[in-house]
Amino acid sequence: MTQTLKSKKAVEYLLTVWVIITLNFLLPRLMPGDPFLFISGAEGEDIARFSEAQRAYYIDQYDFDSPLPVQYGQYIAALAGGDLGYSIYYNEPVAPLLLRRLPWTLLLVCSTVGLSTLFGTLLGGLSARYQGKWIDRLLFIGLIVVSEIPAFLLGLVLLFVFAAGMQLFPLSGAMTHFAAHESAWRIFCDIVLHATLPIATLTLVRTGGIYLLARNSIITVMARDYLRTARAKGLGRLRIFWRHALRNAMLPIVTRVFLSLGTLVGGAILVENVFNYPGLGRLMREAVMVHDYPLIQGIFLLVTLTVLSANFLADLIYKRLDPRIDTGAAFPAVREAG
Amino acid sequence: MNEKNQFTMLKLENLNVTYNTRPAVRALQDVDLALAPKDTLGIIGESGCGKTTLALSIMGLIRNADISGRITFRKQVLTDMRESTLRRIRWRKIAMAFQNSLEVLNPVIRLGEQIAEPMYAHFKLSAREADQRVAELLELTGLEASWRHCYPHQLSGGMRQKALVAMALSCDPEVLIVDEPFSSLDAESRHAMVHLFQELQERMGFAMILISHSLPAIQQLTSRMITLYSGSVIEAGRTADMLRNPLHPYSRGLINAAPEFFQYKDLWGIAGEPPVAGSIDGCPFYPRCVQRDGPCKASRPRLQHVGIERMVACHKGGIETVLTARGVIKTFKLENQTITALDGVDILIRRGEVVSLVGASGSGKSTLAHILVNVLASDTGEVQFAGRRVTGHEATARMGGMQIVFQDPSEAVSPRLKVLDAVREPLDIMGWADRPDRDRKAVNALSAVHLPATPDFLHRSCHALSGGQRQRLAVARAMATDPALLIADEITAMLDPSTQATLLRELKGLQHTRGFSMLFITHDMHLARKVADRVYVLDHGAIVEHGAAFDVFDHPRSRHTHRLLDAAFDHDRSIARATDRNISGWEKS
Amino acid sequence: MKARVTTGIQFLRRMSAGGKTGAFILLAFVFVAAAASIISLHPHRQISGPPLSPPGPSHWLGTDDLGVDLWAQICHGARVSLIIGLGTALLAGLGGALAGILAGYAGGLTDAVLMRLIDIMIVLPDLPVMIVLAAFFGPSLMTIVIVLSLFSWVHTARIVRSRVLSLKQRRYIHAAETFGAGMVYLMHRHFLPEIFPLAAVSMIRLTGRAIVAEAGLSFLGLGDPTSRSWGLIIHHATNFQGIYYTDFWTWWLLYPWLALTLIVTALALVGRDLEKMADPRMMRGHGKPI
Repeated sequence: MTQTLKSKKAVEYLLTVWVIITLNFLLPRLMPGDPFLFISGAEGEDIARFSEAQRAYYIDQYDFDSPLPVQYGQYIAALAGGDLGYSIYYNEPVAPLLLRRLPWTLLLVCSTVGLSTLFGTLLGGLSARYQGKWIDRLLFIGLIVVSEIPAFLLGLVLLFVFAAGMQLFPLSGAMTHFAAHESAWRIFCDIVLHATLPIATLTLVRTGGIYLLARNSIITVMARDYLRTARAKGLGRLRIFWRHALRNAMLPIVTRVFLSLGTLVGGAILVENVFNYPGLGRLMREAVMVHDYPLIQGIFLLVTLTVLSANFLADLIYKRLDPRIDTGAAFPAVREAG
Repeated sequence: MNEKNQFTMLKLENLNVTYNTRPAVRALQDVDLALAPKDTLGIIGESGCGKTTLALSIMGLIRNADISGRITFRKQVLTDMRESTLRRIRWRKIAMAFQNSLEVLNPVIRLGEQIAEPMYAHFKLSAREADQRVAELLELTGLEASWRHCYPHQLSGGMRQKALVAMALSCDPEVLIVDEPFSSLDAESRHAMVHLFQELQERMGFAMILISHSLPAIQQLTSRMITLYSGSVIEAGRTADMLRNPLHPYSRGLINAAPEFFQYKDLWGIAGEPPVAGSIDGCPFYPRCVQRDGPCKASRPRLQHVGIERMVACHKGGIETVLTARGVIKTFKLENQTITALDGVDILIRRGEVVSLVGASGSGKSTLAHILVNVLASDTGEVQFAGRRVTGHEATARMGGMQIVFQDPSEAVSPRLKVLDAVREPLDIMGWADRPDRDRKAVNALSAVHLPATPDFLHRSCHALSGGQRQRLAVARAMATDPALLIADEITAMLDPSTQATLLRELKGLQHTRGFSMLFITHDMHLARKVADRVYVLDHGAIVEHGAAFDVFDHPRSRHTHRLLDAAFDHDRSIARATDRNISGWEKS
Repeated sequence: MKARVTTGIQFLRRMSAGGKTGAFILLAFVFVAAAASIISLHPHRQISGPPLSPPGPSHWLGTDDLGVDLWAQICHGARVSLIIGLGTALLAGLGGALAGILAGYAGGLTDAVLMRLIDIMIVLPDLPVMIVLAAFFGPSLMTIVIVLSLFSWVHTARIVRSRVLSLKQRRYIHAAETFGAGMVYLMHRHFLPEIFPLAAVSMIRLTGRAIVAEAGLSFLGLGDPTSRSWGLIIHHATNFQGIYYTDFWTWWLLYPWLALTLIVTALALVGRDLEKMADPRMMRGHGKPI
């Protein structure tokens, strides 16, 4: 049963991947009008005019003259070889460009996931322990309010208050430009300084959701019979909480962490732009501003496929964590905690 | 409550537990309990009566509640202890096998680890030692040791139950509390589990508290038992005695309703519902009690000794006696023969019970009935109704007294009287209330036996009624006086099976709701088996055997009873078999 | 219909203080949006004063870098937000609800196909896709509404579908079917009254998300440049050289930010309240409509 289910999920995953790749392929070809005469008209923007050379390059790149299936074949072949095209604006192949910017986005995303899960779970546990008391109510209202505010709005607040206003943090970038650092430690501190506000923004926004889930999950688990059995056995409090309660309560949290990666990525894109952080999000905006289509497509593909893989991974991990799953019911623990 | 010279290991004194819900729920009230080493104690009661709360209190696992009173284990006062000290006693000295549900064991931890956990907490063991002990424990309870690597949901219900017992015994406790271990098991597994407990208790020597709905299990596994009702102990005593002879109406109701004991009797529960715990000031059983009185409502009865090793919480000291007959002797003189109809008969009928008097025709049953209602005088002997000696007709010529319904329906009622008049007759004679009230009561009585109350029927002459209708009318007439005891003397002998069935069902229904006692006299063993709580067997004027119906019918001691039962059951069975053969033979050809 | 209105009023009365506050704020925004031209002293597309002037008696919220009155821009921006929000909510909410009902009730192939579609769409990260689509198809309010709707209908559809599935199992539905009830009757009498509160809650959620998404896109510069949405104002403000070294942001950035935060919070408050009330456990206590 597990085997067929695994393969079913794998098929679904591959199907979705194919849909994304094909969508990516079709987009420039579906655009209304002549794609290369399109000019953004917002004031104060860089208006990318395509020079004849660029235009010629693009037409050659996309090969609009060949029949569609042939274009598709070429596209797939190129993808398989790791060739994501060539960026006109940055004047280099897309793939290495992405790889250079990727680590910064990863830094934001991974730190956020780690911190928000940690804080969310701890605060949720705290709330569950003191359910109904003032600390629970305070945390509840506070975190809910903060989590409702959209990430980029919150980011703006932090930027203007802490960076521009109090000047505690730098206004942009991932590292101080043109700085020569003496040691690895200094480099590390510099990076942390620049990353603090973006990470703080994203973490604040996400913690609320995790907190709520953790709180409910822990409360549900604490009421379960096996917790009573554990206490009856005379086990120590720490062991009961850690091995019995948390082990069960974490299941829906873990699932949620993986499933909400898509939203997190969206938030990260916006936040990078607020703080001028040189990750993939900022790159994407720049690419859109200058209509660098290969770059846009490259980023799109990378980001989307990553999120997809994370979801697929979530499925697999969940099955390992919860030994009860060997039927088709997906994520019953998530529904349990509500 | 146990012998004074035995050392009391676990003692509960005046335990009161009130949950802090809104509104507050008084789960246990003034509970006293004592347990000696190797003792076995059974606890019975309806759902919600506080059994599980009691078990959890002993373990110290009650939360969000006010607890007062004392629980002492080997001179240590558990109720005063801090959580950290209590933790050392839990499982090591007092362990519990919880009621088996899917969530009692942690679903994401392997079985072996869960069984080994308490051992690590209480002893210093290496991993290998622990694993070995886990394997031993599993095999002790009849499971294969390889199951310790599996998850709880991979085991069946019965296996999980055994695993729970294995886990409970892991630290070799001195007291084992078992909460409803048989509820999800089929008969075979139940048998096996009972045997398992017997073996384990002998082998490991722990004292056991068994909470169960299954009365046969209580019977087989425990030497003493208590009944819990609405948070209080209402009866306590030796198991064998209590099951045979319960002294509290509630215990009796529970036991009467157990199909394992009364296999042929129709199932009747106890009318009504238990109250929300602690909500009643007086006796908690008051609304459902067949012998309730004024003082019962005023105050809560305390648990008191009413015999050797028996305690009951009842203002009346247990189930009251309605009728006693002692040493009744009756002889008839015919020409030169003296026939001894009754040769020293003793009978005792209690409130709310159905006693069946069985015996062959001519054994003296009707004679006894007539003597009881003083239609016939006895030679010697005394009959007492509600504690007072019966001399004239005081017992029958009153409301709430004794009434008799005779065998022959054609003679039971005067054919000239109209229906309403016939039913109202006893009330008229007694001069009870005024005419409209009497009419109303008569009509009620008719409705109770499902006879029509239409004006047409009420004014019909009795000679126009069928035998079955007349018999029911006779019952209605008796019921109009709200009797405490109804003597039914072979009332269905002259009726066809269908009418008989209807009449008996109605009668039993009335008995159940109104709670009167019934002396059901019959020669038909099948019928007796269907209605009786207790049985008296009469043979040639002497009571040869009496006792609880399940004892007399299933394990008769007297030879005569054996003969009667053989004649009734085997004989009829062999007729049925022969009929089958005839039929199958006929079909073949 | 009348019964639905009465239930609506019942809902309103049962709201908590938070919910009522949220509803009040929303109504205020609706009013502002509708009466934008009337309540603004100055036009919202033309220069009416010195650029970057702080809030004062003639320009209540100050002016932007071109000299256009900020108050007017914000009032008209409310229209954009509300159109986007309500448009998406209606399109995605109703569409999703219908899809969910169809999938849940019809079952079989229809359900399987829809479920696959939902599964695929739900794992896609919405913002990157929206950015890409906006980049390729050009930014306009229409596009944004359509794109947002395309992404949001799956959530409503899923919730509705699972409720319909559980309803289908209920004994009283079986009983009605044995009495000869057809799909129309069941829909009208049993399903819609249960689905309606779910869909309503979902739509409130969608409105909030749509408004935020549009603001995000505009902030990135991908929104409709002619729309004067709040996100766009913020976009211009943050792109202004020297915004960090001056105090222009204390009005130019603050007020559109405040407007966005207020409307999002109000929607969240109302949404949470409705969610609590739409809980079937609560529905059972109070009279069902019709």
